[in-house]
Amino acid sequence: MTSIGTGYDLSNSVFSPDGRNFQVEYASKAVESGGTAIGIRCKDGVVLALEKLVTSKLLKPGANKRISTVDRNMGVVSSGLTPDGRHFVSRARDEAAQWRSLYKAPIPTAALANRMGSYVQAYTLYSSVRPFGVTAIIGGWDSEVEVPVDGQVGAGPAVGAGGKEEGEKHGGPYLYMIEPSGLYWGYYGAATGKGRQAAKSELEKLDLAAGNLTLEEGVKEAARIIYVAHEDSKDKEFELEMTWVSSLSGPTKGRHEEVPKKLREEAERLAKKSLEGDDDEDDKPEAEKMEE
Amino acid sequence: MAINFKDGVILGADSRTTTGAYIANRVTDKLTQVHDTIWCCRSGSAADTQAVADIVHYHLGMYGITNDEAPTTQTAAAIFQELCYDNKDQLSAGMIIAGYDHRHGGQVYSIPLGGSLHKQAYAIGGSGSTYIYGYCDANWKEGMTEEEGVNFVKGALREAIRWDGSSGGVIRMVVLTAKGAVRHLYLPHVDYKGPGVDSVKI
Amino acid sequence: MPGFDFSNHNRNAALHAQGVPLPKATSTGTTIVGCLYDGGVVIAADTRATSGPIVADKNCEKLHYISPQIWCAGAGTAADTEFTTALISSNLELHALSTGRTPRVVTCMTLLKQHLFRYQGHIGAYLVVAGVDPTGAHLFTVHAHGSTDKLPYVTMGSGSLAAMSVFETQWKRSLSRDDAVKLCADAIQAGIFNDLGSGSNVDVAVITAEKTTLMRNYITPNVREKKQRNYRFERGTTAVLAEKVIKREEISKYVTVHELSDESVAGAAEKMDVDL
Repeated sequence: MTSIGTGYDLSNSVFSPDGRNFQVEYASKAVESGGTAIGIRCKDGVVLALEKLVTSKLLKPGANKRISTVDRNMGVVSSGLTPDGRHFVSRARDEAAQWRSLYKAPIPTAALANRMGSYVQAYTLYSSVRPFGVTAIIGGWDSEVEVPVDGQVGAGPAVGAGGKEEGEKHGGPYLYMIEPSGLYWGYYGAATGKGRQAAKSELEKLDLAAGNLTLEEGVKEAARIIYVAHEDSKDKEFELEMTWVSSLSGPTKGRHEEVPKKLREEAERLAKKSLEGDDDEDDKPEAEKMEE
Repeated sequence: MAINFKDGVILGADSRTTTGAYIANRVTDKLTQVHDTIWCCRSGSAADTQAVADIVHYHLGMYGITNDEAPTTQTAAAIFQELCYDNKDQLSAGMIIAGYDHRHGGQVYSIPLGGSLHKQAYAIGGSGSTYIYGYCDANWKEGMTEEEGVNFVKGALREAIRWDGSSGGVIRMVVLTAKGAVRHLYLPHVDYKGPGVDSVKI
Repeated sequence: MPGFDFSNHNRNAALHAQGVPLPKATSTGTTIVGCLYDGGVVIAADTRATSGPIVADKNCEKLHYISPQIWCAGAGTAADTEFTTALISSNLELHALSTGRTPRVVTCMTLLKQHLFRYQGHIGAYLVVAGVDPTGAHLFTVHAHGSTDKLPYVTMGSGSLAAMSVFETQWKRSLSRDDAVKLCADAIQAGIFNDLGSGSNVDVAVITAEKTTLMRNYITPNVREKKQRNYRFERGTTAVLAEKVIKREEISKYVTVHELSDESVAGAAEKMDVDL
């Protein structure tokens, strides 16, 4: 950081001589101190989870949700500056609505990630704005079956469409993470915020690429990982916020919604139990343990 | 008109364009491509339908590039409907959209004058369509083979051309299947044996 | 009050409702044609311009330049064909300059149709667009409302029916250059002789990959006959019955001369400046 304090960090749209944009790097720092947020792409859905640090005893438990629904089938969780996250969500909703009004269909998760990536990137270019102080995780389920065009009347031939080719997979669970620079990738498991390192190493152990983890297992893993990630700041109180989205035939019927209270409490109970167990046996792969 | 059949869709149209009583073009191509395997049949004002089809063609081209994925027939139908509904006071455009993609197979949508969107097994439109509602209803079968489909469209358009003064010329068709788009051309009078009687085998 | 004053529109609407006909724009009763042949494209036009029942111009030009290898034949409202082709020609040249490529006929056709569609037929330009570009020879018609057709031979204007009858009876595939020119010229002559709105001469343009040949007054079937008699009267044909000479000095007897003050002189001068 040789260029720090030499003026290259005072404005967006100014590179340092060694090719860095300090404002963007500082924005990433803002994210690093936020509550941990994770997303897991399971075989039949996506789970989003957030370690919501309780900043005041006067806040009503369970209120002030931080994971938002952007379209019926899509959710966003972010860590970093909460108001920036709200603005991000607001824009994401606009994008989803705009897509719907033009194409009369829900926006694919990849397309939303792409648009939001471009939007966030634009905030790194101008001296009149500052970059987003959030890293956002987008989780969604793109319908694998044909959805009718919004406002369409009728359903076509009674025998169904001709010439359909079976076996070709389309849609399914998708997970993206967008950083303050505008950089975004698609992930099997994504983590950001204060406890991201711990969370990432836990996510890696799950072997999500194999595509074996079910959504219900994913919910339990997500809860456990948030608890693991909280270990380093044990002194602070936190609330676990979790949402999920499954296929039309799954538990959420294709919608992004909050994980039911019962399931969340069960997941939290198991999470706490596994942490207690951790004291005895060190670092046994958690995935195996969960399969009861 | 456009129909669904076993392997995809078939679009068909006559080739007459009129200005008042004068035939401005007797070999018009009213089957317009808006993407690789998404086509439309135009009826109403030539200027309006060409303008709408050009705009949709542009949108679908952009969609294909920006989303790294070919647009579906539904996307095309949605854009057509948006244009036709929003500008309904200024347009006289009756569109039938038919397309094929591997995921959804063949699909037929109809957008009549007001700008509503109808998904149909088969759709007919334009001035000649009034004469063939009976023909189509009597002869329609679900899940026809390509040969049956072509004969159905050909038979219907022959009657439309026979009874409607504003329809005429040749019969143009486009068959959309997994193999892509294939054009057909028939003369309405050659081997005509009467309504509903198939002519030579294709 | 700022803004536009629409009261004349209301007045006109009221007059129209009472049966007063709308004023008519100068329109060219016209015959224009085009025909593709092996190796290029030919367009042709008559040269009569009319304003109502009056022949306004006996030898006008209806073949408009777009780019060296793209030309347009225009029918409809004379001013509209003139200005629309000039506008598109200009835009196409800028486009050619910025892309560094020779302009395409489809590009010209698209520019024209989008312009005309935007004006919903109020620009009364009916055009035959022809040209040769790197993709080959092309021929289109563009109607005032913005619809286009692509055909091997085309006719437009009030004489289009007469001209089309020639094409429909004499056209054959793979024409030679001379055959195509002859066919187009014949089609125009059919318009000249059988359509009241068309007349005078035949203009032809032949466009090939190599060059464009504009044959102005290619055929002149309506050359004015030499007058059989001379209607000039000899000097002194009219008898002088009386004669009176008025001298300059005596002019005040017949005309009142008024001296102007300096200010009003300046005022008059200014007024004249304004008129100039």
